Amino acid sequence: MNETLLAVKEVSKYFGGLKALDRIDFEVKSGEILGLIGPNGAGKTVCFNLISGVYGSSSGKIMFNGRRTDGTASHQVAKLGVGRTFQIVKPFASLSVLENVLVARGIARYQNFVKIWSSWKSKSERQKGLRMLERVGLADLAHRKAGLLPLGNLRRLEIARALTVGTRLILLDESFSGLRHEEITNLEALIRGIRDDGTAVLLIEHNMRVAMKLCDRLVVLDHGRKIAEGSPEAIRQDERVVEAYLGRKEAGNAA
Amino acid sequence: MNAYVITIATIISIYAIVVCGLNVIVGYAGQISLGHAAFFGIGAYSAALLATKAGLSFWAALPLVIVTTAFIGLLLGLPSLRVREDFLAITTIGINFIVEAIFLYIPFFGGALGIGGIPRIALFGAKLKGLGFFYLCLFFLLLVLILCWWFTRSWGGLACFALREDESAAASMGISPVRFKLLAFVVGTAIAGLGGALYAHYIRFISAGDFSFPVSVLLLSMVVLGGMGTLWGPVLGALILGALPEVFRPLVDYRYLFYMLLLLLMIRFQPGGLLGEGSMVRRMFSLALPRAKNE
Repeated sequence: MNETLLAVKEVSKYFGGLKALDRIDFEVKSGEILGLIGPNGAGKTVCFNLISGVYGSSSGKIMFNGRRTDGTASHQVAKLGVGRTFQIVKPFASLSVLENVLVARGIARYQNFVKIWSSWKSKSERQKGLRMLERVGLADLAHRKAGLLPLGNLRRLEIARALTVGTRLILLDESFSGLRHEEITNLEALIRGIRDDGTAVLLIEHNMRVAMKLCDRLVVLDHGRKIAEGSPEAIRQDERVVEAYLGRKEAGNAA
Repeated sequence: MNAYVITIATIISIYAIVVCGLNVIVGYAGQISLGHAAFFGIGAYSAALLATKAGLSFWAALPLVIVTTAFIGLLLGLPSLRVREDFLAITTIGINFIVEAIFLYIPFFGGALGIGGIPRIALFGAKLKGLGFFYLCLFFLLLVLILCWWFTRSWGGLACFALREDESAAASMGISPVRFKLLAFVVGTAIAGLGGALYAHYIRFISAGDFSFPVSVLLLSMVVLGGMGTLWGPVLGALILGALPEVFRPLVDYRYLFYMLLLLLMIRFQPGGLLGEGSMVRRMFSLALPRAKNE
């Protein structure tokens, strides 16, 4: 169960002279929820973009399931079973909620020149799509235009798409932000369910309470460097983390 | 119907075919193209050359014409589709001017004189003209509409819709942006090739000016007016913009001014086109046919 699924090894990323990530190392094991936390600008989303193939790293290696994936294009990383959501939601706005999920269901066919000509309007696809929507609690809205949904529902729609693609690993980029209290509770239960079904979860989270409660382990980034890694309890007591992140936040809250 | 009406109707149906092709690129895949007339021209020129120099019949040449046009579409699409939006618009305009210049300045393509003496299309031993040719065009338009309809139902079409809406989200779902943009481009240019072949055999004398940049603007106007990404929008757009200059004969000299005005009004009041999402026509339909939606 606990073998390494994703390994980020000594990965750096520069944007011109800006060092966004500086020799980052961490691993995601299958069957765990790993939280990536850190103050704004720490490089968390850059890290996601490297893993999901949006752009290549400047140095270092990324291994997924024993295969080197740095420099692999986004659509090919997806094909390996890695799904992701976006910090700024990216729905296919003019398509319906169900169609959004069906786009993700097409992943098995997009590489095959013959299969792309077959129809996506089949009953079985529809049912599978609806089942996925039920899982994230959007089945009632299946025929609604995605562009008309409020943020909370869009975050769940993105998770539904990511789950359809990400059979082995899903990357959730601040999926809790902008959600109401009960939505947060529902989403926590959903993410635990995802892990228990055998899909590893790597998530970026700003809400410390959620991250501490939900994640099995945490990796803390600050200014492009990894400053700590460990269980939520260990992280809570880590001085560097408190200094770099929690400490500053506490001071901010007090003021 | 008198000959004049049939001529206009035939030209409109040929334009409708070409505009359906453009709709695949612009409406379905969301890739702006202001150079579609170039591919219309490549279709027409290859049909004309195959008929006059190689002596092939329309039917024998047609597959070659479509494949040639689609292949050139693929070659030109490969570099162009790496840029987006405004840059893609500029690039496709460039393609249009280059292709037009090649037709105009290379003697093989007839130069400024164009290519004349293109034979009529023969069907079951009879030479098609007038109404017969019009029906042939309608037949091909129907085939193209069926192809477009099928495209919207295929996984490839769905992938194109996703790309149109958000490229990075689509890529995160296994859709290769380059591959599917090219797919739409090739399908769209192949359809333009078909339209070009019909045009060459109908007009029977073609020259570079028939496929110049203003024609591309006209084609794009037809898509926008009818409704981008809808099945019938291109047909309606071609019908309206094809018929209007005839209906308002005195306006002909001001045609482009008129198009511009029409486009501005459309963008202001019906941004999705006449048949687009939330348009007046759509709303009237949904009032007349309550709850026929959601299949």
